[in-house]
Amino acid sequence: MKLLVNGENKEFSEGISLDELIRQLGVRKETVVAEVNRQIVQNDQRPGWKLAEGDQVELIQFVGGG
Amino acid sequence: MTTILEQVKAEDTYQINGKTFISRLLVGTGKYASNELMAQCLEASGTQIVTVALRRVNLENKGEKTLLDYINPKKYTLLPNTAGCYSAEEAIRVAHLARATGISDFVKLEVLYDEKTLLPDPLATLEATKVLVKEGFTVMTYTSDDPVMAQKLEQAGAHAVMPAGSPIGSGQGVLNPNNIRIILEKLKCPVLIDAGVGSASDVAVAMELGVVAVLLNTAIAHAKDPLRMGHAMRQACEAGRLSYLAGRIPKKLYAQASTPSKDF
Repeated sequence: MKLLVNGENKEFSEGISLDELIRQLGVRKETVVAEVNRQIVQNDQRPGWKLAEGDQVELIQFVGGG
Repeated sequence: MTTILEQVKAEDTYQINGKTFISRLLVGTGKYASNELMAQCLEASGTQIVTVALRRVNLENKGEKTLLDYINPKKYTLLPNTAGCYSAEEAIRVAHLARATGISDFVKLEVLYDEKTLLPDPLATLEATKVLVKEGFTVMTYTSDDPVMAQKLEQAGAHAVMPAGSPIGSGQGVLNPNNIRIILEKLKCPVLIDAGVGSASDVAVAMELGVVAVLLNTAIAHAKDPLRMGHAMRQACEAGRLSYLAGRIPKKLYAQASTPSKDF
């Protein structure tokens, strides 16, 4: 199924969880905040959070700033 | 043995929403040539509060080091900013994301109006301040040096009001010290100078006005020698604070001899 991750179209297997998506992308899960369709998903909810076709996922982290 | 200077400095603390700090320099983590250099500069500056931003993870660089590999949140209080937000809604969304990290409920709220000047949108800033205060954030609000706006933000519950000395990254120093003086006279909450500082003397000038602290980023990160500037900023901040507490002499038009008149 297609997901829009950080603005990029990507293909993943059906019913993938948010936690698994983060793992497959090689993103360090302890430092990332996730949003699905503009809704924040807390860390402990990620393993049970099944993604659906066309979901918009944002993976955000701290960077340098003033 | 504790020197008088060390004792004076240790006793001179301030609080933001109940959290106590000693260092009066807040330092940004952007624009450094490397994260290693950034970490060294933070150390040199003696800061306890560092600003950070939130951006998308770069999916091309799997497993790369992140900012938090260089900044220990147990050592520094992280102050996530809402830089780059041009509406109250956007800024509130970023604040929510920052809090979802579980690392900090502090937010440096900035809602901008114009890309060229990076001046804040006062109405949107006020609106976002009200919402985030209500939601339990520790809100430190970036604003212009308008004394009326500063009062409105305090009334909205901001835990600190942070007027710009001059435009962000411009290095012009404190352009309107009289506005800062009026803000200090009117507000009870902590007032910090945020933005516009270019050199150590600018920090000293700001601190001598009586602000609680100064927040800067570019002045260190883009100095020819950022590490040296980190040290300089720390010393200037401490000097400015001590000078403010000590109380300067009034300015006079004519000379006054420091030596007794010659009497022989």
